[in-house]
Amino acid sequence: MYSILLSLAMLVPLLTGILMGLLKNAHSRNILFVEALAATLVFALAAAWVGSGLSAVVDMGLFAFRFGADTVGHLFAILFALLFLCAGVFSLEYNLHDRKQGRFNACFLLTLFAVMGLSYSQNLFTFYFCYECMTLLSMPLVFHEGTDESMKAALTYLGYSLFGAALVLFGFFYTGRFCETTNFVEGGSFNAEGMAHLPLALAAIFCLLLGFACKAGMVPLHQWLPVAHPVAPAPASAILSACITKAGVLGILRTVYYVVGAEALRGTWVQTAMTALALTTVFVGSMLAYKERLLKRRLAWSTVSQVSYVLYGLFQLSPTGFVGGIQQAVFHAVSKTALFLCAGAIIHQTHRTMVHELTGLGKRMPLVFGCFTFASLSLVGIPPFAGFVSKWGLATGGLQVYGSAGALGAAVLLVSAILTAGYLFPITIHGCTEDGDFSRPLEPGWKMLLPLLLLALALLVLGIFTAPLSHLAQQIAVISQEVVPS
Amino acid sequence: MSPVLILAAILLPLLGGAFMLAVPLHKRTVRESWVMSVTLCTSALVLLLTAFAPAAGLTLGSIYPGLTFAFRVDGLSRVFLGIVGVLWPIAILYSFEYMSHEHGESRFFAFFTMTYGVVVGIATAGNTFSLYFCYELLTLCTLPLVMHEMDGKARHAGRTYILYSMTGAALAFAAMVFLYHYGTLDFRFGGGLDAALTQGHEDLLRGVFLLGFFGFGVKAAVWPAHVWLPTASVAPTPVSALLHAVAVVNAGVFAILRITYYNFGTGLLRGSFAQWVMMGFCCFTIVFGSAMSWRMQHLKRRLAYSTVSNLSYILLGASVMSEAGLSAALLHMSAHSVFKIILFFCAGAVLCQSGREYVFELPGLGRRMPLTFAAFTVASLGLIGIPPFAGFFSKWAIAEAAVSLDHPLGIVGCAALIVSAFLTGLYQVMVIVPAFFPTKGQSSEVRANEAYTEAGWRMKTAFVLLILLSLAVSFAVTPLAGALSACVG
Repeated sequence: MYSILLSLAMLVPLLTGILMGLLKNAHSRNILFVEALAATLVFALAAAWVGSGLSAVVDMGLFAFRFGADTVGHLFAILFALLFLCAGVFSLEYNLHDRKQGRFNACFLLTLFAVMGLSYSQNLFTFYFCYECMTLLSMPLVFHEGTDESMKAALTYLGYSLFGAALVLFGFFYTGRFCETTNFVEGGSFNAEGMAHLPLALAAIFCLLLGFACKAGMVPLHQWLPVAHPVAPAPASAILSACITKAGVLGILRTVYYVVGAEALRGTWVQTAMTALALTTVFVGSMLAYKERLLKRRLAWSTVSQVSYVLYGLFQLSPTGFVGGIQQAVFHAVSKTALFLCAGAIIHQTHRTMVHELTGLGKRMPLVFGCFTFASLSLVGIPPFAGFVSKWGLATGGLQVYGSAGALGAAVLLVSAILTAGYLFPITIHGCTEDGDFSRPLEPGWKMLLPLLLLALALLVLGIFTAPLSHLAQQIAVISQEVVPS
Repeated sequence: MSPVLILAAILLPLLGGAFMLAVPLHKRTVRESWVMSVTLCTSALVLLLTAFAPAAGLTLGSIYPGLTFAFRVDGLSRVFLGIVGVLWPIAILYSFEYMSHEHGESRFFAFFTMTYGVVVGIATAGNTFSLYFCYELLTLCTLPLVMHEMDGKARHAGRTYILYSMTGAALAFAAMVFLYHYGTLDFRFGGGLDAALTQGHEDLLRGVFLLGFFGFGVKAAVWPAHVWLPTASVAPTPVSALLHAVAVVNAGVFAILRITYYNFGTGLLRGSFAQWVMMGFCCFTIVFGSAMSWRMQHLKRRLAYSTVSNLSYILLGASVMSEAGLSAALLHMSAHSVFKIILFFCAGAVLCQSGREYVFELPGLGRRMPLTFAAFTVASLGLIGIPPFAGFFSKWAIAEAAVSLDHPLGIVGCAALIVSAFLTGLYQVMVIVPAFFPTKGQSSEVRANEAYTEAGWRMKTAFVLLILLSLAVSFAVTPLAGALSACVG
């Protein structure tokens, strides 16, 4: 039963995605599209309910495709399916008059297939395969508009992704030698040969992590994010920002805790370098977001910054940081989807893209701006919204692990939080207070509003009832590090 | 099984082609049925030889003590024979349609058919002398094909080709003289040098090996002797596809495999400066070829540089000097042959149907020629090495072999493979994506032109067969790799 549910959660988006190209009737196509997204979510939830463990192995000789789910896999799969459903429903209205809606739906579903595959991968080979699939299948979402600018952005995205994948492949190759197995096992399997060739092994692991960090938008491989996000249609930007970057995070999580093992990396230069890069990214991303005036690009820079919070947590290699990182990954995914969808609603209703053009719009589309404010509050980390607990965990974890250097980390997080407030709140404030033309309401239809309201509600619930998620994250931390949390 | 069949497989296409030179067959149907029947018969013989290799060899006589014409089928021969035996008839089928747009078909098919015999000769050569003889013959047989257009560019390409090939052959000849002096020219796995004579001259012989490597390396397009290959892309596409991606360049690689593993022997070369020089040049050529390929805007030249890079993948595998390295090299040789011939065929189909030959002219064409570009996509994914395509496994095996050396150059080799895979991804996808998804400005022109249609049934059949073949190679990669390692030794 469990295996069937897990396969369905991957096969449904794959098959319906292929089918999208064949259906000519827009109405029936859209119904099937939403049904497929909802079904994927239901199957993912049901699979998590029924059980976990290895479900399918396809032997390819030298390698094997291994699918299965553990707590991490279930968590990410449900998160991805949920966000795809929200963005998918939103896209129905957003893309209503688009001739190429069929192509968009097809690529959207196929990308969902790739990220579900990533969540359910149980070894590096399968993960690498799904990762490459995700790059190639999500690319048409970036150049969907068909302009020269969007094609250039898509090629930039492709170039960075391929470069990242090449780094991953190099690291993958060596971890195959320096680990007992490249299957995902809790605590990793770094072996004696790795210890014997420690400098080479660490360099290879660094390449592997840097390659995944490219998708997560970490400096110095972050450049594709601010280029690709603004040109894609808003639902696609939301997915790129919330899910594709999390695929990079998932890759790092799997590598550090399930392939190499936290023990092998603790105290090495790899940990130091990755932590330093993550903190740099947190700061640089926020600064550039603060300076940016195009709304969607501002949000893209914000993603650069916020995803590196997660990486900062993961590279602390301690349970506290890990729990903070997982929470931040979930919160950021939800709130960034909400923010991009709000931006999409604004663009769709008013065709305004610059931040300074939004003055007074809040009174004409109160629900959209309400959701935007909810998501902003959460992203900044103001209690009782969701972002607070995660950032608290990240800062305290850093202090525990790094001592005085952790104080620097906490300071960076704080400065970045202030900058986040500085680049998000003025949008709400100007939108709501300054004078404007209030004559005509501009609120979008229910297909756009419903996902927004749902996401805002989720943020509030997650912020108030933090216990379930943090309990779940604790569980993963214990399993993956075999360290009893304090 | 009688070894006379080897002679039959060599002479049948040679005489069949020569007959067309003597008696020009002007009527197209007659000519095509003649060429097709000769090719199919030869392929049947070749595949028979591949499947049931006759244990005995065939000695035709000698012109001097120790210099004999000898042919036999061993493991390495079977790999090469299998590749050409399968691909040649498909290429002929494709050429019939392609060449109907060109002039001088009779001459073209005469030399094309003769080349088949010479390639079979190279594959089955039993000693270095026979190999060298066939190798020279190959240069002469393929020269008219390179110069087929007979315009300025083609004559220039032909001159470059003959100049490079002859220089290479001269170096190889020098290596052969030393081999003759210090041992035997017969192919023996592990080397045919006489231990007593070699004593004290090891370094000299290693230097001589390098002469042979660079000599035969001309056809294998090792930098800096790669220049002729991109220049030769002015030849008609079937020539670029079958000869400059499969038969001729693989003959160069094959000759290097022969002298490395069967003449000088890995015992002499392993761990010596000769091995490091060979590996160094291979690594450089891998990255250089991919980088140049990325820069090229002319599609066939882009593919030609990609071949330069991929041939050095094979040689990198061979330069490890171990059985694992050799079987990895053979796996990549098989996989690359299938993928690259498809890519060239697609470039040719595009050229035939639309006259477009530059990458920036292709946007939107994927919609009008879906089968052609589907084939291009499959082959590109294979060449880039996206799992589960065979390219991934063959490159992995080469990297695995290189790293097992436990030498810094092994790591450099692995890194070169990765960098090149990245560049391959760039230069292939940048063709595919605009072809299927043109931007707003680009699409209208191609879409409006009704003349751009899919090629005729013969090209289509070739594409379908090759797509099936590449999927078969990819999904049966484990048994294939097993069979190839059984061929080694």
